[in-house]
Amino acid sequence: MKKLTQMVMAVACTAGIGFASNAMALDGGALYLDATKGGCSACHGKDAKTPVMPTYPKLAGQNADYVYNQIKDIQSGARSNGMTAAMKGITHMTTDEEKKAIAKWISEQK
Amino acid sequence: MKLKSVISVFAFVTTFAASTVAMSSQSDEHAKAAGWNKGGGEQDAALHLKPDLENGLDVFEVCSACHLPEGWGTEEGTFPQLAGQHRRVLIKQLADIRALNRDNPTMYPFALPESIGDSQAISDVTAYIEKLKMNPAAGKGPASADLVKGEKLFKDNCVKCHGETAMGDAQKYYPRLNGQHYKYMKRQFTWIRDGKRRNANPDMVEQIKNFSEEDEVNVLTYVTHIPVPKEDLAPSKDYRNPDFD
Repeated sequence: MKKLTQMVMAVACTAGIGFASNAMALDGGALYLDATKGGCSACHGKDAKTPVMPTYPKLAGQNADYVYNQIKDIQSGARSNGMTAAMKGITHMTTDEEKKAIAKWISEQK
Repeated sequence: MKLKSVISVFAFVTTFAASTVAMSSQSDEHAKAAGWNKGGGEQDAALHLKPDLENGLDVFEVCSACHLPEGWGTEEGTFPQLAGQHRRVLIKQLADIRALNRDNPTMYPFALPESIGDSQAISDVTAYIEKLKMNPAAGKGPASADLVKGEKLFKDNCVKCHGETAMGDAQKYYPRLNGQHYKYMKRQFTWIRDGKRRNANPDMVEQIKNFSEEDEVNVLTYVTHIPVPKEDLAPSKDYRNPDFD
């Protein structure tokens, strides 16, 4: 029993460190600007509030969970209306963790 | 002043309408084959304007947000390598995307005059891009591909237009293929064969209509092994475009 507890603890600890270091390692602002990660800034503006087209949304200050869920829904096709055709083709360029980091950075912009 | 605001409202509405058309489903009139190369319009206009490389760099900053400052695109194939492509090919594709002859909703807003400027801007930016040094580490096809079969397919089907060294033919608007990312070519090849790329050359559509998935992988992998002339390549994959310092 003790051994099992230790093992669970070890796994939890490793997972915890993994998550923490991962979250710290990911710079949402840098990912947002990175063309190899989809180049969000090209359409939505470097400040996330000057989109290239009036039909594209300003993102700065949007809730992180909302942003993340929209990206995921556009990627899966659950959301396919509006201007999503412009975005669908680039959603595979980031992992879920990277999407979360980008969404968090967006939510922190004023 | 009033006229100016009327014009800007009109420009806005036109842009909006155009973007809606570009994004809408394939069912509208634009879904018809656009034809390969009707010429005229901005394509001809841009071809005959004298390019200004300095302005070309300014315009290219818009492009670089996706295609990278080096114009190298992405190995995973979403954004093609533009560096080193024939200027005439770039002009044709840019004019086609702008005129809704090639469906590319991600690229479309950047092709608009509001983003990059008029025919002169197309002339300038394409001259700039053509001179960029190419990515020495462009994406290759899978190791499992059969290069012998690929070479035979290439010689039998592609050489006539794209040439032995896959340099294409600028005068005829045939793109160079050497140095292009495998995954980008794979997507475009499939779209051309299956009629999704409306500005495709009908001769190519006909030529490749019976290509199987295996044929496609073999021939495109062979293309990725055709060397790019050394003088066109950047010295290393760590090279950065000095114009962006």
